[in-house]
Amino acid sequence: MKDKKKQSIFSRRDFLKGAGTLGVAFGAGPILAACTPAVAPIPTPVGVVPTPTVPRLSGELKILVWSHFVPRYDEWFDAFAKDWGAENGVTVTVDHIGLAELRSRTAAEISAEEGHDIIELLDPPADFEPSVLDLTDLNQEAVNRFGPQVALCTRSTFNPTTNVFYGFCHGWVPDPGDYRKSLWEQVGFPNGPSTWEELLEGGAQIKEQLGVQMGIGMSNEIDSNMAGRAILWSFGASIQDENENVVINSPEAVAAVEYMVQLFQRAMTDEVFSWTAASNNQLLIAGQASYILNSVSAYRSAQKAQPEIADDVFFTPSLTGPGGIGLASEHVIPISIIPKFVQNPDAAKEFLLHLVANYDKAVFESELYNFPAFFSTAPNLLREGGWLDDDPFRSNPRNKLDVLKTAEQWSTNIGYPGPANAAEGEIFATFVIPNMFAKAARGELSPADAVAEAESLINPIFAKWRAEGLVGGGS
Amino acid sequence: MEAMAYRASTRTRIGYILDRETWLGPVMLFPAVLYILVLVGLPFLLAILYSLSDITVGDPSLDFVGLQTIQEVVENPVFQKSLRNTFVFTLVSQALVLVLGKILALALSTEFRGKWIFRFLILLPWTTPIALATISWLWMLDSVFSPIDWMLRAMNLLGPGAPLGPAKNLYWLGKPELAFFSVILVHTWRMLPLATVIMVAGLTSIPQDIKDAVAVDGASFWRALFEITIPLMLPIMAVATLFGVIFTFTDMIVIYVLTRGGPIDTTQVLSTWAFFKGIEGGNLAQGAATALFLFPVLLGVAVLILRFARRAEVA
Repeated sequence: MKDKKKQSIFSRRDFLKGAGTLGVAFGAGPILAACTPAVAPIPTPVGVVPTPTVPRLSGELKILVWSHFVPRYDEWFDAFAKDWGAENGVTVTVDHIGLAELRSRTAAEISAEEGHDIIELLDPPADFEPSVLDLTDLNQEAVNRFGPQVALCTRSTFNPTTNVFYGFCHGWVPDPGDYRKSLWEQVGFPNGPSTWEELLEGGAQIKEQLGVQMGIGMSNEIDSNMAGRAILWSFGASIQDENENVVINSPEAVAAVEYMVQLFQRAMTDEVFSWTAASNNQLLIAGQASYILNSVSAYRSAQKAQPEIADDVFFTPSLTGPGGIGLASEHVIPISIIPKFVQNPDAAKEFLLHLVANYDKAVFESELYNFPAFFSTAPNLLREGGWLDDDPFRSNPRNKLDVLKTAEQWSTNIGYPGPANAAEGEIFATFVIPNMFAKAARGELSPADAVAEAESLINPIFAKWRAEGLVGGGS
Repeated sequence: MEAMAYRASTRTRIGYILDRETWLGPVMLFPAVLYILVLVGLPFLLAILYSLSDITVGDPSLDFVGLQTIQEVVENPVFQKSLRNTFVFTLVSQALVLVLGKILALALSTEFRGKWIFRFLILLPWTTPIALATISWLWMLDSVFSPIDWMLRAMNLLGPGAPLGPAKNLYWLGKPELAFFSVILVHTWRMLPLATVIMVAGLTSIPQDIKDAVAVDGASFWRALFEITIPLMLPIMAVATLFGVIFTFTDMIVIYVLTRGGPIDTTQVLSTWAFFKGIEGGNLAQGAATALFLFPVLLGVAVLILRFARRAEVA
């Protein structure tokens, strides 16, 4: 392990050189933008930050990534990866597959001990830990080069029980609330809701007076999983504590479920039980939702399909619960793993460092969907007058996305307040939390019974993964 | 000259082997046996091994834990619900397929104008890729934008004051009963063409002299159907049922695309639950154990139906 580390370490001077190039390359963009009228072409970051002193590489590098929600990101990524390969004597192949196929494909490759050198998943791949390389050296090198990593990224890739970095996170995606300003203005909330209580009050009035429901899913899918966790956390509840002990059965969790029952009965319809990953986009674009929880992708789709609706969509940070806590789950989190079977791990690690070094470009090409795991690598995003203050993709008003400047403060990882782990992953995949809320909302179980039943499903899952040695707690 | 003699002797040897039933039978069966061993037997054996271990997607080592994994699977209420749903889903959809397939087969066995387009439309669901067809159904049954709901609203059957309720939509996939009905409907739609084709073949295999005798004796349509046609078609109907049951029991596409087992796991079946638990959740041992529960049921069904078909054939 130490040898590998030696090969990949570069001097801080090299890093400063790279950062300087980054500054020069991107500095021109905003200056040009400031000198041109609002309808000017979208300024793009130019140039590529070279990776300092790349060791001699060769061979092949096969990368498996998802088909991004923003197609232009894939076009950019493919060319970016191939250019890096050409410069470093590595033949790079990039394969894209659908989000839903990522885990089954990864499982198949791990089982066959053959496949891609880098696999990028969109949820913490903690259950793959025994079959992937410990990326402690890569993570340490990234911190050395780019400064501190966003905490939720570290908690989604590091297992404190085994002291292993099973993945490398280069970015994450915030999950703010999206509200229709014209509707919320009519019920006395011109800036949208700021607490879950306001969401209930305003959402109920909008449904009753204006006939427009809101959409927070309680279904067997990803967005419902994230929404349910956001409500639990904001009410002071969680599945596990910071030491990975199961604590779901709490008065706070029951209060969160009771709240969801109210929200469903007063502000939503049965469609939330058939929610899919596309429902947010569909409803928002059709003007049939007063509030949703989603990344900027739904809004970006609306900008293209229904600009007048998009102009009416504004964002809120995570809503706060009764105790003043407001937390949202990261929407998705791109995490790369390097399976143990790969022949060319050094090339894989160097490419990932190169990607992070150029993350300004990744953020831009994803139309501000991807946020950086190392904020130093995307200076144009957060700085005063940067992309979140002046959306290069023509939001109206241009500073509509500035609420995302604080996203790191109100976003967290699956598994909060503990780390992401294999047990949390299985609970996510088997939809325990959305069904807990749904059973109470439909009146099949009381909130207390729904929480107790969820606990009865969660405990054996934690026991299983503890027995595997991948999850702590249980003492 | 030598080459010709050699070829002639080779032909003689091959001819000798082909003429002997003790050789020909095994030779003809070999590809099928190989196929079953490699693509069915081996995965089945692996599933048994997995279900007796604590294997995960990330740790393929087999540490045997006896029946512990199977016990954990059986105790899970979602598994119990999935098992129940699998039976109901299979039985109801196959009953519908049998009845509707029989009706369509009878219709297709008569001559009428435009029969070819009727036949084409019936076969269409079978020729369309199932994932694509199910996505079309997903749009048809959408909670907000369903064209079926739109038509019901246009006919004043849905909406405030309408007989189907005050809501603007029926929420086909959002209400447990309607969601279950919907997955059965789509699966029946998908399976119907094959059953129809099999039954048309069965109908055409009924000897013409029997049909003529029935006509001469003046038997009514229903009497001819229940006392002549159906009894003579029983063996082939049994085969259609066997195929349909096995296909329905093991398939997950319709449910995965339409509901992913929701709402509240009310459409969860063994195949989808095994996938979510074993692949998506990483708990490969429990996924394999869940899938294994399909085997004894399918074996029992296959034995029963084949025995029934044999008896019907003999009778």
